[in-house]
Amino acid sequence: MAKHRGRGIAAIEYPTGMNQNGDPSQCWIKVKPDGRIDVFAGTADIGNGSKTIQSQIVAETIGVPYDWITYDNSNTDSSPMCTGTFASRATFVAGKAAEKAALQVKAKILEIAGKELEIDPADLEIVDGEVLAKGAPQTKISVADVAGAATFGHGELITGTGAQLKPYSAIVDSETGRVDSPPHSAISYAACSAEVEVDDETGEVRVLRLQQCYDVGRALNPSQVEGQIEGGAMMGLGLGVLETCYPYYPSVDHRGGSFGSYLAPSMEDMPQIDTIMIENPSADGPYGAKGIGEMANNPQPPAIAAAVHDAIGVWITELPITPERVLRALEAKAAGEAEPRREGKKIVFDEELSVNTVSSGGIRFEVPA
Amino acid sequence: MKVVGARIPRYDGVAHVTGRTTYVDDVRIPGTLWVKALRSPVHHAAITKLDTRPAEEMPGVSAVITWEDVPHLVYGPLEALGIPADEPLLAKDEVRYKGQPIALVAARDEATAAEAVSRIEIEFDERPALFDVRQAFDADCPVIHQEGNWYTHFEDDMDRRQIRKGDIAWAFENADTIVQGVYRPAAIEHAPIETQVCQVVPEPSGRLTIYSCTQALYFSMGVVAAHLQVPLNKLKVVGGTTGGGFGGKVDTATETMCCLLAMKSGRPVKWRWTREEEFLCSSTRAPWHMEIADAVTKDGWILGRKMLTLHDAGAYSRFSPYGLTKHSFHHTGAYTIPNLEFDGYVVYTNRVPTTAMRGFGVTSVSFAVETHMSRVADVLGLDPIEIRLKNANRVGDTSPNGVVYTDPSTVPTIQTIAEAIGHELPADYRTMTSEQRSGEWLPEHLVAQLGNPEDH
Repeated sequence: MAKHRGRGIAAIEYPTGMNQNGDPSQCWIKVKPDGRIDVFAGTADIGNGSKTIQSQIVAETIGVPYDWITYDNSNTDSSPMCTGTFASRATFVAGKAAEKAALQVKAKILEIAGKELEIDPADLEIVDGEVLAKGAPQTKISVADVAGAATFGHGELITGTGAQLKPYSAIVDSETGRVDSPPHSAISYAACSAEVEVDDETGEVRVLRLQQCYDVGRALNPSQVEGQIEGGAMMGLGLGVLETCYPYYPSVDHRGGSFGSYLAPSMEDMPQIDTIMIENPSADGPYGAKGIGEMANNPQPPAIAAAVHDAIGVWITELPITPERVLRALEAKAAGEAEPRREGKKIVFDEELSVNTVSSGGIRFEVPA
Repeated sequence: MKVVGARIPRYDGVAHVTGRTTYVDDVRIPGTLWVKALRSPVHHAAITKLDTRPAEEMPGVSAVITWEDVPHLVYGPLEALGIPADEPLLAKDEVRYKGQPIALVAARDEATAAEAVSRIEIEFDERPALFDVRQAFDADCPVIHQEGNWYTHFEDDMDRRQIRKGDIAWAFENADTIVQGVYRPAAIEHAPIETQVCQVVPEPSGRLTIYSCTQALYFSMGVVAAHLQVPLNKLKVVGGTTGGGFGGKVDTATETMCCLLAMKSGRPVKWRWTREEEFLCSSTRAPWHMEIADAVTKDGWILGRKMLTLHDAGAYSRFSPYGLTKHSFHHTGAYTIPNLEFDGYVVYTNRVPTTAMRGFGVTSVSFAVETHMSRVADVLGLDPIEIRLKNANRVGDTSPNGVVYTDPSTVPTIQTIAEAIGHELPADYRTMTSEQRSGEWLPEHLVAQLGNPEDH
C-alpha cells in the first residue's frame, strides 16, 4: 500500500464570443454637468467582473480617473441590448461596445473643449480628467469644466453610443461543416501541468499542484484575470476528481440533492496553483483582450487523467476519477484486464464503454483497420 | 495607459463581501404571493388526469397555472438561429423528465402554496425511460420524444453535425498505428449559491417588472415576450447582478411562469427554488460520450482523426445543438490534423435537460482529445510535450472547418509550461515558434491543408 505521484500535461484552445457570432452588445454613455461619466450597458455581471472591466475601458478610452465612472446594468429600460454574459464574450464583445461609446464621448468632449480654448480639437488630448493642448500642456481645461460648458453654455448633452456585432458565420456546407467566415471573435490558448498523488489503498486522487499558462491577449485587470484562471482551475479540479450528478451514469440512481451529498471542491481541495499569463494581443478586442473566462476549467481534467496514469499506470477516461474508479482500475490491471486489444496496427482501449459493445446495432463506430 | 492593465478592485466587491448586495431574493415587495410548483415525480409518462380545482379552492391561494394559461407554449431559445422549439413551458399531456414543471400555485405563503400543490389531482401512465445515449438508436429502445431519440434539424435537415476534411481513408491506410479510446466526462451541477429565483410585479401601467437572476437580461426578456406574445415595452427586466450562474442562468427558468401568475392574480409574486430543486430540477452540464480513433505515425504525426460524439441533451434540446456545433469546430483541440471525419448527435434522454455551462461544448472535447493525446504519446513511447508541439496549430494552418489560424499561441503556452516544470526540450522544440510551418515541421501530409492568413 503506497502513495504514488504523477504528472500530466494538457494544452487547449478556446473561442471568444458566441460560436458563429451574430451576438450583439451595445452601450451608451452620458456625462454629468461636472464631467462624471454614467455608463449604461445590459451586460449582467455573474462574478466575472464585467462591471469593473467595462468601467476601466471607458475611463481609459476617455482619459478620466476610474472613480469618475458609474456603471449601470440594472435594468432593460435604461440599458441597451446585450446578448448576455456567456461564451466568454463580456470583455471582448460588450467591452468593445463600451470602448466605441467612450470614443464618441471623447470626441464630443474634445469638440467642446476646442470651442472653449479656441483650439482645433485635433490638437487636444485628455489626460487624467484634463483636456490639454498637445505640446503645450499649460493650456488646458478640465473635463468637469467642459461638461459644465456643454450643459450651461452650449446647451448640449455629451453622450456616446457603441455597438459591437460580428455578423453570423454560416455553415455553407452541411457535409463538411465549412463556414463562410471565422466563427469566433478570437481564440485563446492555455497549457497546464497537474501533479497528483494517488493512494492505492483508498483510491483517493489528490491534486497537489497546477501550473498553468494562459494567453490572455491583454490582461485588462490582472487580478481579475488571475481570479478567473484560479477559480476555473478549482472547477476543473472538481470535474476531474469530484463532481457528478449521476455517480453511476447513465443510471439516475443516487443523485445528490444537497451540498452534503454532492461533492463540489472546497478550500481543503485547493492545490498550489501557479499562474503564468502571456499576452498575444487579439487583433480587434478592446485593448487586445481575449475572453478566457470559460476555458479556465478545461485543461485540468485531461492533465489530471494523464497524471493519474503516470502515477499508477491506468487510464481512467470516465470522469470524475473517484476512489471507486481508481480501485476498480487497479483491480483490473492486477487481473491483467487493463491492456488494450491489439489488432494489426490498431490499439483499442475502453472497448467495454464503446457503442460497439453497448448498442445492439443502432449505431457503430467503425474504424478502418 | 493607467486604468487598463491596473489591478483595480472589483466594482461591486465591497458590497458582495459585506453582504449588502441586493440579490433578487433580497427584493421585498408588499403584498407578494409565494410560488410552488407541481413537478413530475416520474421520468417518463403520459398525463392521464390533471385537475387543479382542489388547489384553486383552497383558502389563501390566488392563482394556479397550467399549460393552458401560456399564450405561446412551445418556444425554443434558439429559434432565431433556425433551431426549432421542442419544450413546452409547462408540461402538456406528457412528462419527459423527473422534476418537469406541470402546474404552479401562487398563495399567501410558501407553506400554503406547497399544500395547494399537493392537492392537485394528477395521474400518470408511466412509460419506459431511456438513460443510455448508446442505446438510443437501437430498434428495441423506447421512443421518448415527439422528434424521435435524436435531434434532426441541422442544416439541410441533417440528423447529425458532420465535419469532413481531407482524405480520411488515406490517413488510416498510411498510419503506422491507430489508437482508439472512449471518453465520458460527467454531468455536473452549476451549484450556484443563489438558487433560481424571480420576483414579478404587475405595474399599474400594465407593464410587468421582472426581478431576475438571469445572466442575459435581454435574452431572457425575449424569451418571456415570446411566450406571452407581448412587445418588449410591456416588460422591464431588473437584474444585472447574479449570485452565481456558470451558464445555468441563461435558461430563463422562472421568469415567464412568474409573469403568468402575476397577470392571473394581479399581485406581485416570488418564486425561489429550494436547494433540492436547484440540484434535482435545474439543468446541468451535459454528460458526453466521445469515441476517438487517431491515425498516427511512429514519430508522432497525427495524420487523421475519426470521432463519434453522442451529446446527452436530456429531455429537451435547449442549447444543445449549439453546444454540439461548437464542440465539432474544436475537435482537433490545439493541433492541426489534416484529415478528419467527425459525426456528432444530440441525443434525447429522460434526464433533466442539460444546458450551457462554463466551456460549453468544448470542456468535453478538451478532456477527450487531450487525454487521447497523452495516450498516443504513451503508446508510441514519445514525450507528451514534444508530440504536442509537433502537432501544435501554427499560423497558416487550418481549423476543422477551414478557417485559417492567424495568431495561435499553442507553441508558446506549451513551451512556457515545459520551462515552468523544468522539462528540458531538445533545441528544435525549444526554438520553435508559431510562425508558418517550414522545414521539419512541414511534412508532406500537411502541405495541402495550409491556407493564406491574408484571407481571414
